[in-house]
Amino acid sequence: MFNAQTLELLISSFPKILVYGLKVSLPLALTAFVLSTFIAVLVATVQYAEVPVFRQICRFYIWIIRGTPLLVQLMVAFYGLPLFGINANPFLVAIIVFSICEGAYSAETMRAAMEAVPAGQLEAGYCVGMSYIQIMWHIILPQAFRTAFPSLFNALISMVKDTSLASSITVVEMFTRTKQIAGQSYNYFPLYIEVAAIYLIFCTVLTFVQKRGEKRLGNYGIRK
Amino acid sequence: MTLLEISNLKKSFDNNEVLKGIDLKVNKGDVVSILGPSGSGKTTLLRCINFLEKPDGGHLSFEGKEYDLSKISKSDISSIRKDTGFVFQGYNLFANKNVLENVTLGLTSARHVPKKQADEKALEVLKKVGMDGYKDYYPSQLSGGQQQRVAIARALATDPGIIYFDEPTSALDPELTSEVLEVMRELASEGMTMIVVTHEMGFAKEVSSHVVFMADGRVIEEGNSKEFFDDPKEERTREFLRLTEH
Ligand SMILES: Nc1ncnc2c1ncn2[C@@H]1O[C@H](COP(=O)(O)OP(=O)(O)OP(=O)(O)O)[C@@H](O)[C@H]1O
Ligand SMILES: [Mg+2]
Repeated sequence: MFNAQTLELLISSFPKILVYGLKVSLPLALTAFVLSTFIAVLVATVQYAEVPVFRQICRFYIWIIRGTPLLVQLMVAFYGLPLFGINANPFLVAIIVFSICEGAYSAETMRAAMEAVPAGQLEAGYCVGMSYIQIMWHIILPQAFRTAFPSLFNALISMVKDTSLASSITVVEMFTRTKQIAGQSYNYFPLYIEVAAIYLIFCTVLTFVQKRGEKRLGNYGIRK
Repeated sequence: MTLLEISNLKKSFDNNEVLKGIDLKVNKGDVVSILGPSGSGKTTLLRCINFLEKPDGGHLSFEGKEYDLSKISKSDISSIRKDTGFVFQGYNLFANKNVLENVTLGLTSARHVPKKQADEKALEVLKKVGMDGYKDYYPSQLSGGQQQRVAIARALATDPGIIYFDEPTSALDPELTSEVLEVMRELASEGMTMIVVTHEMGFAKEVSSHVVFMADGRVIEEGNSKEFFDDPKEERTREFLRLTEH
């Protein structure tokens, strides 16, 4: 099985697969990660601040998203949007669905992290004359973000691998591209090993970035 | 000159009436110690007059302005808070900010004081509490006594008309207690108006001008501190003082 021909196939396909990872899979995951983090902060803050009505809306959103598979959400959006006259390109649909889906999970992570900041600091903020928004911005959110950072990054790493689900709505990403090449050559196994290795490289790099990020964010003098 | 006057302040938690109509008058420059057994409502009283707890009813006069406590507006709360300081039993320093930022934040964010000016003010008050050498430290890197002194500096930075202290030393070891009490003694001698909930009889006796004794949500006895300790009128007070004597 591992003959010269296979080796040649692996070498020639490597850049072809990698380019789809760099041009499609990673951008999809990274963009969705940034957007989902915004959603998460917003949704978590609404719940933390117990904003009436909006809080119920946020719970509903989290309930729906966490209770349905990402694959189904992709399908619903892909076939549902045209019914409303929206013909977005599949890559954009994937970004939106991934952001909304990840946002629900990250919102829960953020909310827990915000609740972990001792309430006394909120009171102390009031006592020096700060407003709720100022306390959020300067005290609660920075600490919550630091606490949530490893979990959020963990979710990003998961998402990099989940991007292969976007193939279900015709997005040609790294995995789909691999399948195509494998189909042409009738040599499946080595190519799937190859794409697995590329995912592994991506995730290893991200893990390294996470460690660096944690160091950079510091821990306010708390020694581990 | 009367700085703060509370009358008939009431507060219940569910059906538990914790403050049953408190009257209290504080003149400018007074140092008022509030004494009383655990659960008598001392903390709740301080929290109510700074609106960390919502009072059920009563009247407040502060710096010449009158407020109905049962329906006080957000903007009144905010303006009262901007002229008061609060020192907590548990310090409550901002964990993500260093010492200097802890002290300046009330100035830069809440009062829009330029950073340079805020830093100067912060260093001045940190020096007063003997913590100017620790401006880059984070709260987690300080002892309890040091954290509490920074908390006092944070309260001082905004030049409040009055500072409330809720048992500022009761989380501290005896040797750390004295460094905090020393700072408070100095503030008192400079004419700072303070209300101090405390179990430190020495402080109440020597530093405060006025003592209020609370039990079961009521003020049982009050008076100038010499009279209070030398000649308590109420049996309840005498019993309390006997129990706290060592
Ligand atoms: N948030 C709250 N919810 C319900 N009950 C409360 C709350 N805060 C205080 N209480 C009750 O109010 C009463 C007075 O409490 P408070 O903390 O004011 O007493 P204290 O005089 O400060 O006591 P200590 O000397 O132990 O600090 C207590 O019975 C307490 O259980
Ligand atoms: Mg108390």
